[in-house]
Amino acid sequence: MIVQVLIRAVLLLTMTVGLGASAQAQKNVTLLNVSYDPTRELYQEFNAAFAKYWQGKTGEVVTVNQSHGGSGKQARAVIDGLEADVVTLALAYDIDEIHQRAKRIPADWQKRLADNSSPYTSTIVLLVRKGNPKGIKDWDDLGKPGISVITPNPKTSGGARWNYLAAWGYALRQPGGDEAKAKDLVTRIFKNVPVLDSGARGSTTTFVERGIGDVFISWENEALLAVKELGKDKFEIIYPSVTILAEPPVTVVDKVVDKHGTRAVAQAYLEYLYTEEGQKIAAKHYYRPRQATVAQQYTEQFPRVNLFTIDEVFGGWEKAQKTHFADSGTFDQIYQPGR
Amino acid sequence: MRPSRLLVLVTAVTSLGVGMPRVVMAEGKALERALAEKRALENKVEALDLKVRQLEQRLEQSLGTAGGARNVVAPTPRTEQVEALDQKVRILERKWELDQEQAAAKAKEAPTITAGRDGFSLRAADNSYQLRIRGYTQADGRFFADDKERALTDTFLLRRVRPILEGTVGKYFDFRIMTDFGGGTATVQDAYLDIHPWSWAKLRAGKYKPPVGLERLQSGAELLFVERGLPTNLVPNRDVGAQVFGDLWDGAFSYAFGAFNGVVDGGSGDLDNNDSKEFAGRLFGFPFKATSIELLQGLGLGIAGTYGDQKGSTGSPFLPTLRTPGQQAFFTYRSDNTAAGTTIANGIHSRVSPQGYYYYGPFGLLGEYVRSYQSVQRGSTEANLDNDSWQVAVSYVLTGENASYRSVSPAQSFDLTKGTWGAFEVAARYSELNVDKDAFPIFADPTRAARVAEAWGLGLNWYLSRNVKFQLNYEQTDFTGGSTKGERPKERAILGRFQVAF
Repeated sequence: MIVQVLIRAVLLLTMTVGLGASAQAQKNVTLLNVSYDPTRELYQEFNAAFAKYWQGKTGEVVTVNQSHGGSGKQARAVIDGLEADVVTLALAYDIDEIHQRAKRIPADWQKRLADNSSPYTSTIVLLVRKGNPKGIKDWDDLGKPGISVITPNPKTSGGARWNYLAAWGYALRQPGGDEAKAKDLVTRIFKNVPVLDSGARGSTTTFVERGIGDVFISWENEALLAVKELGKDKFEIIYPSVTILAEPPVTVVDKVVDKHGTRAVAQAYLEYLYTEEGQKIAAKHYYRPRQATVAQQYTEQFPRVNLFTIDEVFGGWEKAQKTHFADSGTFDQIYQPGR
Repeated sequence: MRPSRLLVLVTAVTSLGVGMPRVVMAEGKALERALAEKRALENKVEALDLKVRQLEQRLEQSLGTAGGARNVVAPTPRTEQVEALDQKVRILERKWELDQEQAAAKAKEAPTITAGRDGFSLRAADNSYQLRIRGYTQADGRFFADDKERALTDTFLLRRVRPILEGTVGKYFDFRIMTDFGGGTATVQDAYLDIHPWSWAKLRAGKYKPPVGLERLQSGAELLFVERGLPTNLVPNRDVGAQVFGDLWDGAFSYAFGAFNGVVDGGSGDLDNNDSKEFAGRLFGFPFKATSIELLQGLGLGIAGTYGDQKGSTGSPFLPTLRTPGQQAFFTYRSDNTAAGTTIANGIHSRVSPQGYYYYGPFGLLGEYVRSYQSVQRGSTEANLDNDSWQVAVSYVLTGENASYRSVSPAQSFDLTKGTWGAFEVAARYSELNVDKDAFPIFADPTRAARVAEAWGLGLNWYLSRNVKFQLNYEQTDFTGGSTKGERPKERAILGRFQVAF
């Protein structure tokens, strides 16, 4: 008798509660995109576009929360447990770290999407004040005495690492250029840095809003944005003779999407970056689109520049990181805070 | 001569020229007059020149520059100097700003100490490590009316004195330790570890309340009446074991299943005396919680049960003593310390308890039913006894706050200066416990143990704040059997409590 009573009661209770809850179940899904500093505006617009697309396609209401900071710091936050469904960071090394330290993504993450999982590119340029009062034309000028250079900290900022490597690569590519000359140039440049922000957006604030420095080594998109926001009468962009091709990569964080049950929408979110609309939004926010047809429409915005890749000059991110940015690496040797 | 000086002179000459009377050109006298005027003009120009020089010297002296160095300080180097200083100031300001940002970020990572109505706590910035100090004390008065034979003792007592230490060690691990010094004895009431990787699947191990009785699962600090109703006699109090439990659908449904040493009805235990274990489980849900039917959102329904196989002995019969709300024993099994004369547990012991509550605004309703099946033996006689009990309790918060299973939180605390009095609640309860008639006379003495207890009670609760309350109860219990004269006399208990909880 007791068993019968129990079974009936359990069935009744489960059915009533289950029916009530299922009737209220809503198709809402939330993603967290952990990104680097200057992508705020890009992903604000992109998230809205994707949400509209996804709701039209599946009926699901998707909300994408954003988190921004220095790329290295953001990667560490994910390694430490920040539950990012997707990461859209400044450089591949930071995502590699998420694989190596937290095993939250597979080793071959970069092969999962086209163009090494980098849906848009950028480069590193020099932003100077209107009229270029210090006559800055190329990387050499940044190491001259009396020039105040603004760049973020390569230890925490992906953009800063691109900046550093762009200058280093330039020096190597000069006639007679070698590692010693490159080190000398970069050392002189960092001697001219009065403030090291932790991220690219912070450095933009330092240079643009606080009025510090003669030249800001900047993401091209950040420089174009500064000129657009504050007017051509205040800043000028100098394209160096040689600079680096920056390829900010993206990936889903497998352990998190599987836990949240968000793999499909997270995957679609990143794939949408490669669509025409995604590419146009990227271009609108001054990131160089990969898709040729879209790039064609923005040729005026993005001048042709002499670019080198990290693989060509440094043998890839892992090697560059170990040589230059690891503890006791070249950067630690050339930059001593407070000196 | 500096252009400024020249300008002054030219201006002076011009102005004098403008004021000169028209010269009438004439020979002799007219020429002399013209020459005289010319000399006078030259004198005036010289005097003005002298005056300008003097003024320039004074200006130079006031600027602190030497006479011949008037043109030495060029504007360009000065501007550069100012700009350099401006940059230095800006850099210092920015560094200070970054330091502030860094300090703010570090502050977010620093542990926090809190003190409030929910106790005192120390927690890491990410909440992964926490220590919470809580507790409650109940000072009771227990008096019996119409106790002409003075069989029942009127007394003040410390019913519960319970310091509580709770915490989180690492992201997924919680613990709780609660001791009780009430009644002048020290016991460990709760001591357990929770592992909670997901809200829907958690593990608890240690000593705690098995998931059975509805009113038993309420904290002792959150009871509607001073003492729990009669059904609590038939469910376990605290036992040692492990359970899995969790919440589903945003808390609309919860479950718990576990294995325990096994305890007698209403009892607690720390060790087992046999290899058999007791299994307990409970399902509880809020069918309308996620709906828009506000009237029914506070309805919770559930069912719980236990199943075990327990065997007592003469020294430890493993059978309960049943008590009234006035905490007086009204039923015990026979025991004379002999195997032939002592009733002991003898095998299957199971319980089932449908239960529920309903809260809507200031109104509250709580009801539960418990049926306890117990195999017993006395000498060579065995029986399966079937005891049951139920209760219904209603309450209403006079001051309008929401009634709740987790006690009442007054909108305004007691404060004479503000003229606020806290919250007042009235409550009524009826409960009944029936012992299987087959228990008499072999397993229980009908002249000493009552077969039925029917209790009704009225209560007034005054919540001075979230932490302090007074309770005053009247509880009357009627009995069937339990006396050589037939019925055991009615018990009329007046129970009072002053409680501080944090």
